[in-house]
Amino acid sequence: MAWTKDEEIRLRKVIKDSGVNLLKENLVQGTWGNTAVRLDEDHMLVTPTGLDYVALQPEDMPVVQISDTSVWSDGKKPTSERKIHAAIMADRPEINATIHSHPVWCSVLASARIELPVMSDEMQKLVGGPARVGAYGLPGTKKIKEGTVAAMKGRNACFMANHGVFCAGKDMDEAFEIIRVMEKSCREYIRQCTLKMTGQLEYSDELLFDYFVSKYGK
Amino acid sequence: MIEKKIKDTVLDYAAKIVAEGMNGKGDRIAMRTKNGFCVNDAKVALDVLKEENLIEMPLDTEDKDYIVIARILAKRPEVHAVLYTHAPFVCAVARAKATIPAVLDDMTQIVGLNCRTSKSATTDALVGELKKRNSVLVPGGGALTTGRTMDEAYTCALVLDKASHAYVCGSVIGGNKTINCVEAKLMNIIYQKKYSKVNQENISKREGE
Repeated sequence: MAWTKDEEIRLRKVIKDSGVNLLKENLVQGTWGNTAVRLDEDHMLVTPTGLDYVALQPEDMPVVQISDTSVWSDGKKPTSERKIHAAIMADRPEINATIHSHPVWCSVLASARIELPVMSDEMQKLVGGPARVGAYGLPGTKKIKEGTVAAMKGRNACFMANHGVFCAGKDMDEAFEIIRVMEKSCREYIRQCTLKMTGQLEYSDELLFDYFVSKYGK
Repeated sequence: MIEKKIKDTVLDYAAKIVAEGMNGKGDRIAMRTKNGFCVNDAKVALDVLKEENLIEMPLDTEDKDYIVIARILAKRPEVHAVLYTHAPFVCAVARAKATIPAVLDDMTQIVGLNCRTSKSATTDALVGELKKRNSVLVPGGGALTTGRTMDEAYTCALVLDKASHAYVCGSVIGGNKTINCVEAKLMNIIYQKKYSKVNQENISKREGE
């Protein structure tokens, strides 16, 4: 064990707070989504599977071995998506915190499998360029893990096709800044596309709905 | 006499629906009781709902304000909660009378391979659509969702709202890429059989059903 007990206690609280903050900021629904923080080069703390973020306690977070995610201890059963968090941490030594979630606007682009262009200086700085889409794979499979790792090369965020978004930072605060800018940028991209498709100058949801009904309505 | 635990669950989830912005005109929130079901008075909107606005209706009611819910609960003994909600993006799909395809993993797990808009808003048509499904869109209206627990019916409405965002916005960003039906079916079966059964049993005890 290459970390101190005090550091582990601090990081357990960081991960507990990350879940609550995802809920508060409407970046996750219910028990979906998961986060991880690095303890050392081969260990991370992750959120457990299927537990309510508010009810979750710091001591519930299991310690998972990055090089072999079937090995875990000291908490409740880890999220089934721990392999993706571990793969990113193994591939990117500078990454110490990861968030996987399904916020609404990011899910739109994930479902369309569309690369998000750089929408602002803030996005360029935090994400590192356009956000790619990882290849589609069933949850928990090697395909989704490898697709996410490939799409994250040189980036701090990517979409997971028809699934959600993955963000990584040097710490949890940065990972949060990244997921916030992704959600904001996706929303802005959709607004700009709506204006382009409708030829209008001012966005409203009604404008989008009317366009949708005219295109898909029976 | 409605059990206190059931009333609390209904009020709790009504508040959640309002917080998520999924409420609108004509909403219903209903939960099975020993003698029928507990439901909001049709004249009372969810954002002002209080304990005294909850009423108990029998399963054989002919009251037009509650007959759809009564028929669903009568025909589907495993269903314990029914919601009729009006999330704006869901209403846009219902207005277009469209079918939401399998656009997101969590939709295929919780809602199923797609969610159709019923051909008509009659009781028979809506109840018929829900024979083997847990959700249906009402043409020109909102979404009816069902669950083994209130939590499941609410989660279904929430996931449907997100899938509607993806489907509606897909129309301006280049269209959706849907999940193939074999993978979608597989995810749905695994979720329903493996992950959610025990969870729903635990939630059911908590909700007082």
